[in-house]
Amino acid sequence: MGRRRRRVDPAAGALPEAIAALSRSLPSGPSPEIFRRAKFDRPEATPALWQLLFRVLAPLPLDNALASLAPEVQARLVKSALRSQGYPRLALAQLPEDGSQGSRELLLALSWLLARGPVPEQMLAQTRVPLGDEMTVCQCEALASPGPPAPQVRAEEPVDVRHVQWLMGKLRFRWRQLVSSQQEQCSLLSKIHQYTRGCHGDQSLGHLSVAEAEMLRDPEGGQQLLRTLECENRRLEAVLAWRRTELVFWRWMDTVLDTCAPGAPAATSQGTFLPRIPEHRGGELELVAWELRALQEELQEAAERRRAAWEAEAGGCGRGPEWSAVRRASREAVETELGALRRRWEQDRDPAQPHGPRRLVRREDGAAGDRDLRAAEVIRTLRSQEVCLEAVLRQLQGQCRQELARLAGALPGLIWILPPGR
Amino acid sequence: MLPRDCSRRLVTELQGALDACAERQLQLEQSLRVCRRLLQAWEPTGTRASEPPPGPETNEEDPPPACTPSPQDLKELECLTQALEKAARVRRGITKAGETDKAPSLKSRSTVDPPGTIAFAPPRTPGRAGGHASDTRPTKGPCQTTVSAKGHSERQLLSLGNKTRVGTGAWAPRPGPGLRDQQMAPSAAPQAPKAFTLKEKGHLLQLPAAFRKVASQNASLWAQLSSMQTSDSTDAAAAKTQFLQNMQTASGKPQPRLSAEEVEAETGRLWKACSLLRLRMREELSAAPTDWMQEYRCLLTLEGLQAMVGQCLHRLQELRAAVAEQPPRPCPVGRPPRASPSCGGGVDPAWSSQLLVYSSTQELQTLAALRLRVAILDQQIHLEKVLMAELLPVVSATQLQGPPWLTLCRAAHSLLCEGGARVLTVLRDDPVD
Repeated sequence: MGRRRRRVDPAAGALPEAIAALSRSLPSGPSPEIFRRAKFDRPEATPALWQLLFRVLAPLPLDNALASLAPEVQARLVKSALRSQGYPRLALAQLPEDGSQGSRELLLALSWLLARGPVPEQMLAQTRVPLGDEMTVCQCEALASPGPPAPQVRAEEPVDVRHVQWLMGKLRFRWRQLVSSQQEQCSLLSKIHQYTRGCHGDQSLGHLSVAEAEMLRDPEGGQQLLRTLECENRRLEAVLAWRRTELVFWRWMDTVLDTCAPGAPAATSQGTFLPRIPEHRGGELELVAWELRALQEELQEAAERRRAAWEAEAGGCGRGPEWSAVRRASREAVETELGALRRRWEQDRDPAQPHGPRRLVRREDGAAGDRDLRAAEVIRTLRSQEVCLEAVLRQLQGQCRQELARLAGALPGLIWILPPGR
Repeated sequence: MLPRDCSRRLVTELQGALDACAERQLQLEQSLRVCRRLLQAWEPTGTRASEPPPGPETNEEDPPPACTPSPQDLKELECLTQALEKAARVRRGITKAGETDKAPSLKSRSTVDPPGTIAFAPPRTPGRAGGHASDTRPTKGPCQTTVSAKGHSERQLLSLGNKTRVGTGAWAPRPGPGLRDQQMAPSAAPQAPKAFTLKEKGHLLQLPAAFRKVASQNASLWAQLSSMQTSDSTDAAAAKTQFLQNMQTASGKPQPRLSAEEVEAETGRLWKACSLLRLRMREELSAAPTDWMQEYRCLLTLEGLQAMVGQCLHRLQELRAAVAEQPPRPCPVGRPPRASPSCGGGVDPAWSSQLLVYSSTQELQTLAALRLRVAILDQQIHLEKVLMAELLPVVSATQLQGPPWLTLCRAAHSLLCEGGARVLTVLRDDPVD
């Protein structure tokens, strides 16, 4: 790819605008001047870009511990995060972490991230101000906590199985606590919704949410909320402006890439990474493998049985032309069905399932619009999920029981008294 | 004792689950604190900044002793309030007639009140109040004192009404932004000493106009954003793809290797595939075909499912190879995020207009409880799988006799088969000699 000489772009004025919109839409976005300097690999642009990349890649919530990390540590985390996402250029890995050079490479890294996904939108969504009382219907964030990274305390010493039992007991207690706290919260929420009926300007909502009532109770907090909302509005406007003008940015980035020297191929310097891949990644795959193999055995057995029965029964009559047409039709129908099934796991999101948090609204009559969900429907869906999951759990426990019985049965002279059933 | 890496894996996973629960518990408790505070009597925040509240009306706490109204004062005030309510009804008629000059004077009086002070002058000084009120009040007469006293208290109640509506000095200068209409406060406000609770007065609240404007702007901006996302400009998309390809070529590598995140994502997809395939298999096996065509389809489906599982296993081999390629690393920084089998990733900002409607407390509680139960089951199943993968090999490997192995067996049984809830008993069966 040779150097391309750029003619004066008629849309040249649009570039600073686009970059300005981009930097307004990102938290702690650097000024457009930094971007321009980075194109020419000026060193003074480097620290701002490291910081920006850290903000973009750091796991939320960005608490004080993460924010106060030294710049070198932040740089290392950025490198490792980019590597784990598959950033193709090795030059990044070789950059010094003190922020003395490499702004052009960082600019390329930032653009790479921007090209792969809607980064400003995602960052906005993460720090969104929820005005209503929200509940997510899908299970994405129910109990999974990415959370701050685990402290470096290593349980390097082998533990006794009783310690594991103790941890499990603690967990069960926490589950019970969660259930009771959740019930209380729901009843309080419901009361607040009831008492503030008729207050909201928006008729479709009808009552205040906790955040809105809190704002009325505590006006200073309310002013704070208002300021945060205004800030969010400004960022939203910036994102919309960025989306309208980003084409010119991408053209410019192509020129930036051109000004880079061709990449030094495959210098395998590992550096001192703090990698994100946990060691037992192989273990997770093993679990899936085990499940799939078990499933395969079951299917094999069932399919063979059915095939044998089918051949025996209808082997004789399935020969004529009309039978073969019917058989072909059945095959096609089954293929379509299975294709749809495959798409359900290959797509990252199931379009049929509702996704994302929704605002809770109390209505005595339970009337709901087209795009709204009714609690009764969600309850039905959740109940069927619950039944399914319970079945899976019981099946796993049954497998364990069999396995342990086999192992323990090898020892004679012992009586195993199972605990009384539930 | 369990082997080193087994211990580490188990402790890490359990600790992760514990931390996730602790975080959720923290969120719930914060929310509970806020809700409880909202349902109690609201304190007047305006008075905190300015002079200490001279009166006890909105504070259930200890009022300053100097202003504790005596029972006689309270009784007087009760009578006053009743009279005021009557006067308010009369006033309403007058105000509607002479709105132009009366209303502004009323409003100005409420702004004259230093914002935030309740100015609850006890009825001891009706003369002073009466003098002040009679200056502006056009009606004079034999009942001047009572009227003026009423006027003064009414002004206090007006300001109290302003307070309960708006709650802060910062907004009071604007004439009653929270007042729903020009109706007088006394008709709504109770006896002055009673506190403001959401239960009684909640339906009178109103959000300030500034907030409503910003909130509606916010909603419309989010809606614009989500509609823009769904109709992404093809030019920009093409430019982005081109840029990514250029990056790839410029880096000198032939083909993108599978990155760690991609491996994770694929593993999650395989989990999902597994559960969907299993579900489908159950459906097929439990359906009773009535004619040979249905049987044929059932057979084809089962064979198709089998083929798909085979493909998944093949993909898994590729993933395993990709993981093995990457050299072994030392300690991880983050906790391993778990791919939820039921839901894909990604944040969809198009939620703002979508509501979840419930009709009773019971329903909301059921909904929340079920959601929590499904999340807990998810966690439990994941832990079960991890425990199986780690403990069963240990149990089968250490074939020691005697108490240590029996303890291990008992513990493993309790953890794996009873979810840690119950423990079995082992009896030695000595043969009778």
